[in-house]
Amino acid sequence: MQTLQRRVSVYGALLAMIPKMFMAYQLWFWAGLVMNVISMSILYFFWNAVYAESGVISGLAREQTINYILLAFFFMPLASNDLVWEFGSNLREGLMVHHLLRPVNFQAMNYVQQFGAVLTRVTLQIPILLLGVFLFGLKIPTDLMTWLAFLVSALLGFTVMFFFTWFLACFTFYTTEIWGLGVLIEGMTFFLSGALVPLAMMPEWLRGIVLSVPFAQALAVPIGLLSGITPLGDAPRLWLIQIAWIIGMWIISTLFFRVAVRKITVQGG
Amino acid sequence: MTRYMSLYWLFLLQRLKALMEYRASFILGATSTIIWQGSSIAAVWVVMQNVPSLNGWNYDEVLMVYGIITLAKSINHMFADNLWTVGRVYIRAGGFDRFLVRPIDPLFHLLADRFCQDGVGNFIVGLALVVKASVDLDITWTPLMVAMLAVGVISGGFIFIALNLITCVSSFWIIDSVPITRLVFDNHLFAQYPLSIYPKAISILLTWVIPYGFASFYPASYLLGREMGNLAWVSPLIAAFLMFIGYRFWQFGLKYYSGTGS
Repeated sequence: MQTLQRRVSVYGALLAMIPKMFMAYQLWFWAGLVMNVISMSILYFFWNAVYAESGVISGLAREQTINYILLAFFFMPLASNDLVWEFGSNLREGLMVHHLLRPVNFQAMNYVQQFGAVLTRVTLQIPILLLGVFLFGLKIPTDLMTWLAFLVSALLGFTVMFFFTWFLACFTFYTTEIWGLGVLIEGMTFFLSGALVPLAMMPEWLRGIVLSVPFAQALAVPIGLLSGITPLGDAPRLWLIQIAWIIGMWIISTLFFRVAVRKITVQGG
Repeated sequence: MTRYMSLYWLFLLQRLKALMEYRASFILGATSTIIWQGSSIAAVWVVMQNVPSLNGWNYDEVLMVYGIITLAKSINHMFADNLWTVGRVYIRAGGFDRFLVRPIDPLFHLLADRFCQDGVGNFIVGLALVVKASVDLDITWTPLMVAMLAVGVISGGFIFIALNLITCVSSFWIIDSVPITRLVFDNHLFAQYPLSIYPKAISILLTWVIPYGFASFYPASYLLGREMGNLAWVSPLIAAFLMFIGYRFWQFGLKYYSGTGS
C-alpha cells in the first residue's frame, strides 16, 4: 500500500511538471505583450505631453512623430544582430576553427543566419503591431510603393549593420571580453539608431554625429520612408548612400577580420 | 539584528573579493547601466531642446523625477537582485535547499548571497541627475528636504524590493518567476516621468496599486514645492506595508516549497 502511495506521488509530481513547462512559455508570451503595451503607452503619452503646447516640432506634426516612434519601436530588431554573442560563444567553446574549416563561406553563413533571426523576430512582433493599431491609433501605410521603398532600405540597412557589427565583433579576438562589448553596442544602438527621437529634432551638430556612424542607416532611414516623414522621391538617393555604407563597411570589416583572426585566443573547449 | 548586520558585512566582503578577481567585468557591469541610462536621458534632452516643458515640468524637473527613481531602483538592484534569479538559479538547480538548512533566515541568506555590482551604475546615474537638477534649479536644501530625499529614496528602494519579493514567491510554484516579476516591475518605467503626463487611471495605478510613484513623482514634487508633494511623507508607510505583505507571502510560499528534485 505504501509503495503504491509513493508511486502515485512520484508519478503525480512528474505529471505536474508538464503543465508547468508549457505554462512557462505561455507566461512569457503574455508577459511580453503586457510589457510591450507598457512601453508603447509611455512612448505615446510622453510624446503627447511633448506636443501639448506646440502643434509642430522641427517640421513634424504630432501624428507623424508618434507614428514614426511606434513603427521604430516595432521594427527595432532591424537595427541589431547577435554577431558579438555569436563570436563570443564560438571563441569560448573553441568552435571558431571548425566554422572556418567548413567548405562554406563563414561570413555568408552568418549573414544568412542573422537575416533569418531578424525576420523571425519581426514576425513574432506582429501582435505588438496590432496592439499599436488598436490602442494607440498607429497607422500602417497601405501604399505599395512606400512598402517597397521601405523593404529595400531595410534590407540595405540591415546589411550595413551586419558588416559594422562584424567589424566590432573582431575586437573580441583581442579582448576576449564579450559581454561588455555587446552591451555597449546595444546601448549605443538604442539612441544612435533614431529609435527614441526622430533625427529631425536633433540639433545640427548631434545629427551630424549620428549620421557619421552607421546605426541610423538600419532604422531611422527605413522608418523615415515607411512613416512618410521622408518623401518617397528621396528613396533612390538614400539607397545609394546605404550602398556606399555597405561597401565601406564590407571593406574594413573584411580587412580587420583577416588580421584579427590570426590573433584568436581560444578560451578552452 | 546586530548578528544579521555583521553577517551581511561578511557576505558582502566575500562577494567583493570574488568580484575583484574579475575587475574588468566589475567595472563593465557598473558602466553598462550608465550607458543604457545615458541613451534614455540623451533622448529626453534632445526632445526638451525643442519644447519648454513636459506638461509644465521643465527639463531639470523631469531629471529630478528620473534621478530619484533611479536612486531607489539602484538600492533594489544592488541589494536584492537575487529576487530575480531565485527561481532560475537557486530553486531549479536545487541550490535553494542550502538556505533552508542554515541557521539564518532563508530570505536574508538569499539576498546576502549576491551583491549586484551593476546597480552601482544606477546609483551613480541617479545621484548625478539629482545633483545636476538641484544645482540648475537653484534649490536651497533645508534639513527637512534632505530628510525627504533620503526617506523617498530608501522607501522607494523598499517599494521596489517588496514588489519583487511578492512576485518572486510565485517561483515556489512555477519555478521561473521572471515573467511575473517583469509584469509588475516594468510599470516603474511610467514613473520615470512626471505622473501628471498620463491619464488619471495610470497615475492612480502608479500611486495606489503598484505604487512606484512614491519612489519618484511624489518626493520630487515635494522637493520642487509642487502640489501633491506632501503625499510623499506617506511613502515609508507604504513601503513598510508592502514589505510586511511581501514577507508574509514569502513565508506562505516557503511552506509549499518542495524542491525540484534536482
